[in-house]
Amino acid sequence: MWQKTKPYLLLLPAVGTIVLLFFGGLFDGLLKSLGYFPAIGETRFELTAYTDLLRSSEFWESLFLTLRVAALSSVIAGVLGAAVAISLYLLNESAKSGTTQVWHRLFQLPLTIPHLVGGYIIVLLFMQSGFLSKILATIGFIDEIPDFPVLVNDPFGWGIILTYAWKEAPFVSLMIYPVLSRIHRSWRDVSRVFGAGNWSFIREIVLPVMLPAWTIATFIVFVFTFSAFEVPFLLGVTYPSMLPVYSYQLYTSGTLADRPEALAVNILLAILTILLGLVVYYFSKRWNVLKGWD
Amino acid sequence: MTKTRPFLKSILFTLLFILIGLPFIPLILSSVSFGWQWPNILPESFSFRAWEYVLLGSSGTWQAVSVSLLIAFIVTAVNILLAVPAANALVRYPLRGKWLLEAMLFAPIVIPPFVAVMGIHLTFLRLGLTETVFGVVLAHLSPTLPYMVRAVMISYNTLSIDWEDQARMLGAGSLSRFRHVVLPHLLPGIAAGASLSILISLSQYLITFIIGSGQVVTLPILLFPFISGGDPAIASAYSLLFAGIAILTLIGMDAALKKYYQNKKAGAENG
Repeated sequence: MWQKTKPYLLLLPAVGTIVLLFFGGLFDGLLKSLGYFPAIGETRFELTAYTDLLRSSEFWESLFLTLRVAALSSVIAGVLGAAVAISLYLLNESAKSGTTQVWHRLFQLPLTIPHLVGGYIIVLLFMQSGFLSKILATIGFIDEIPDFPVLVNDPFGWGIILTYAWKEAPFVSLMIYPVLSRIHRSWRDVSRVFGAGNWSFIREIVLPVMLPAWTIATFIVFVFTFSAFEVPFLLGVTYPSMLPVYSYQLYTSGTLADRPEALAVNILLAILTILLGLVVYYFSKRWNVLKGWD
Repeated sequence: MTKTRPFLKSILFTLLFILIGLPFIPLILSSVSFGWQWPNILPESFSFRAWEYVLLGSSGTWQAVSVSLLIAFIVTAVNILLAVPAANALVRYPLRGKWLLEAMLFAPIVIPPFVAVMGIHLTFLRLGLTETVFGVVLAHLSPTLPYMVRAVMISYNTLSIDWEDQARMLGAGSLSRFRHVVLPHLLPGIAAGASLSILISLSQYLITFIIGSGQVVTLPILLFPFISGGDPAIASAYSLLFAGIAILTLIGMDAALKKYYQNKKAGAENG
């Protein structure tokens, strides 16, 4: 009996904590999004918050912006991360392993920078009177501040995209580097025997080998960007805003009537991220991406 | 090969400069600037005014740093206590509904935790948990615990039951088996999980703001008004301090672990 219940007892504290604080919170939010709130005398369930939301153009614009920003940041982070990982891999082939270690560590630096700080770094670099604009003006490329494009607090979301591309590129390279290091040294020699140069080796061997891991890593960045708050809050505009920011605006708008709508945005966001998460899980199992460094 | 190396190195140096070097230059310059007009590449004059304000003035920096670290360390300690038995059960016991238990534990990685926090906010308010460090600690648990469980699970995967059996045959009780056999093996995993847990807890803004209601002032809460349109010099100094604390915590963790193993090795050789 003890042997049978023991593992469940070992799991109880952790699972209990998550159930109480996390799923309890989700459930609490779900009830309130349906208008069930006994403390203010609301005990009926209704879908008004959801129908209002799905009818408002603000919600759809916010969803569209969120998808666009998440897609662009993950693709740019993916390309940058792949470039870093492939360069490091080729360097490792031709140099002592110690130097590659140092390079690797240096490239991981943005991962450890807190998001708000990452966002502020992008502000200082890319705002209209920022560092890049100053450099371009000094070399005579632009004449006035307005000549520099609006890339921070812009309606398209470039500031957010740049921040996540910068912060998540090391994550992508961290995820695909172990896959690359499994490419056997002899494959390189064989490819050279057949007359393949660096570029064709990368195109014919390196890229196909890393593709599954790269896709998963990029998609994880997509899901993460999709539900992030801090950076869009700092670098976005009030309208249209990304979904988490939109929910926060509704929640803190002051009128109690907006709160069920804010919580309804959250529930829809949670459902979307669960669906996206299942896609990642399915393909990573199917392609066996995570095998090897568990 | 000899031809490609300089070419490769120059690509890497360019990438390194654009991705790692360049972003920090304006941050550092701005933190020591005293007026920085467009289009000058360098500030007109330098001063440590911002650093003085941040480090010495009555700005509440050290208060915020200690509150942030206090929360991060309590959260991490609780995570270790919860995660070690849970990881043990998940890796080493046959379980019914294992996928469901794992899915529940790892759900906060996928579903953004602020959704749960906003949902539970009014309940916390009624229970008197808002505006307290304890409430913020509770709110930080769900975004961090999954990473700790994951990290400890990876360590348990490589720990053979045989080693514990050997210790048992030599007469070690369950407590000393855990202390001398299991714990040393789990330590790298615990350290990795702790680093992630500390890092995630330190950088939470929204969750802390909702539950702390502006009364629990951590570093991100203190930082935000400055970076969203305050004095750029002070904002830059705070940003550097914040990033520095995050990086130092990670390096410190790494160093402590290395020292632990060195002592162990030395102890084994001497004794």
